[in-house]
Amino acid sequence: MIKTLEKTPLENTKLLSLFQLTPELCLQLQDANKIIFVDASYSEKNQYALACSLENSSNNTLSHHISPLTLMQILKDLYNKNIDFEIFSILTKNFDTITNNSDYTVCIETTAQEITFSIKK
Amino acid sequence: MGHIKRKMMSEKQKIVIEPVTRIEGHAKITIDLDENKKVEDARIHVTQYRGFEKMCEGRPYTEMPALTARTCGICPVSHEISSSKACDGLLAVRPPKAARNLRRIINLAQITQSHALNFFHLSSPDFLYGFDAAPEDRNIFKMMKDYPELAKKGIALRAFGQKIIETLGGKRIHPTWIVPGGVSHSISVETRDKILSQIPEAMDIAKEALKLFTDSLHKFNKELDSFANFDSLFMSIVGKKGKLEHYDGVLRFVDQDGKILDDGIEAKDYKDYIGEAVEKDSYLKSPYYKPFGYEKGMYRVGPLARLNVVDSCGTSLADEEFERFKNLNNGKPVLNSFYYHYARLIEIIYCIERIEELLKEPQTVEENIRAYANINRNRAVGCSEAPRGTLFHDYEVTNSGIITGVNLIIATGNNNLAMNKGVKQVAQTFLDGNDIKEGALNRVEAVIRCFDPCLSCSTHALGVVSSNIEIRDHKKTIIENIKRS
Repeated sequence: MIKTLEKTPLENTKLLSLFQLTPELCLQLQDANKIIFVDASYSEKNQYALACSLENSSNNTLSHHISPLTLMQILKDLYNKNIDFEIFSILTKNFDTITNNSDYTVCIETTAQEITFSIKK
Repeated sequence: MGHIKRKMMSEKQKIVIEPVTRIEGHAKITIDLDENKKVEDARIHVTQYRGFEKMCEGRPYTEMPALTARTCGICPVSHEISSSKACDGLLAVRPPKAARNLRRIINLAQITQSHALNFFHLSSPDFLYGFDAAPEDRNIFKMMKDYPELAKKGIALRAFGQKIIETLGGKRIHPTWIVPGGVSHSISVETRDKILSQIPEAMDIAKEALKLFTDSLHKFNKELDSFANFDSLFMSIVGKKGKLEHYDGVLRFVDQDGKILDDGIEAKDYKDYIGEAVEKDSYLKSPYYKPFGYEKGMYRVGPLARLNVVDSCGTSLADEEFERFKNLNNGKPVLNSFYYHYARLIEIIYCIERIEELLKEPQTVEENIRAYANINRNRAVGCSEAPRGTLFHDYEVTNSGIITGVNLIIATGNNNLAMNKGVKQVAQTFLDGNDIKEGALNRVEAVIRCFDPCLSCSTHALGVVSSNIEIRDHKKTIIENIKRS
């Protein structure tokens, strides 16, 4: 996804590739006007489809993982930044291999288009 | 703040608009009540499975540090350290001094940031608001509103550790810089000086966190009595002269009176001392001290265990606090797991001091950072202290270096028996089946927080962890199923 987006002329856009959301990311994100989260989610039925509008309110107290919503709340409460954000999740049932190159490529390109459209709005 | 629903741009494009659930790992706590609705038993089960050990078979050993780092996004550096040490053993090499120092520094940085997150983001709401406060009043969001400067300092301390990892390793999560035989590149004097300049602020925050904790201890007498407060053995790596050591050393077991049961154990001999039991209701294995057998051989690892096992920390500020820590139980091991938090904060101070010491050693910036060889052994074990405890990577390879067998004993897994016993103790002390209160349930979770488990890591699985508390009556019928978030 990052490689696809890098080919697109996006002004004033920073691309971050991460394995995990962490609280100190706020220090990097606090100057953004908009944040777009892109990740992969498991789906038995939908392969290489794009899902949006993810509701996730995880703020559990056992895990070091934090959710996008928690991150945005930290930005709001600690740094006074009420930043608009979107979440794009690419659905797949196989995280280890690409099972259909054609569908995968279409999905990546579609998602990149959606993201580009969102950034340019 | 909000999320925006997307319109379908074209029927030909496959866009699905639906609520999607991210992959979530799952920890379940089962509390069994007797006929009088008093707690009879309580257990934590980890129900996620990934099977990392099997996945590594057939891979070249050179891939193992990068591969096993992906066991976990929280402590990848720990896996890379133990994995690389196992690979060093397969090659029969000792990395140059610069590489050993740099590996130590990145390991200490990870411990710092991991401990900081547990204290500031997971545990401090308990200390600030008390265990009986309503959930909406006892969470990180309330803490950020009421104590914004404290929350920012927590982030700054984590950033200190993560920046070191990123500076040395190239990326924050799953850095690929730690390799068999050493590290892949040296550091410049400028890089060293940049990290050194960040030490004073990090130390100030660490001291402030320690004071916050020690000042609030008087509020938790009941918890101090019952939070996994029981006899057990303790295990840790120790360095030269019995000093605190996270990267390299020998293993030591002590009992609840501080008597050394076994000492000077080389990592490669761990199987002579540690057995692993499989539990029928969890994918988490239960390691135990073999001479005492299963369950009697329960031992604890991690910050509390380390400070119970070692003779000193070896750095001045940490040793000052270490003396106070030892006085909690008149020089004997501290048994109450609530003091894991205290030990964690002492370790943060130690880590920062030790990072500074290592950076100031002239060998740290030397160019000679890797030893090279072919496979010289078909089996080797790498062992280090991760934030949560002792971590073992045991590899078997062919003569051409292809992995044929892997055994991982994960830090959190070592604590499985103790965590279960702690959950039961807290449930029996605080929970009344006739009147289940939020504060009681919070304390059940809080005792788990003392151990700071990495449940994803310990089952070698992936995901965010939520917890589910299931309360059953004397007929094992579920009477309450409480999802906690």
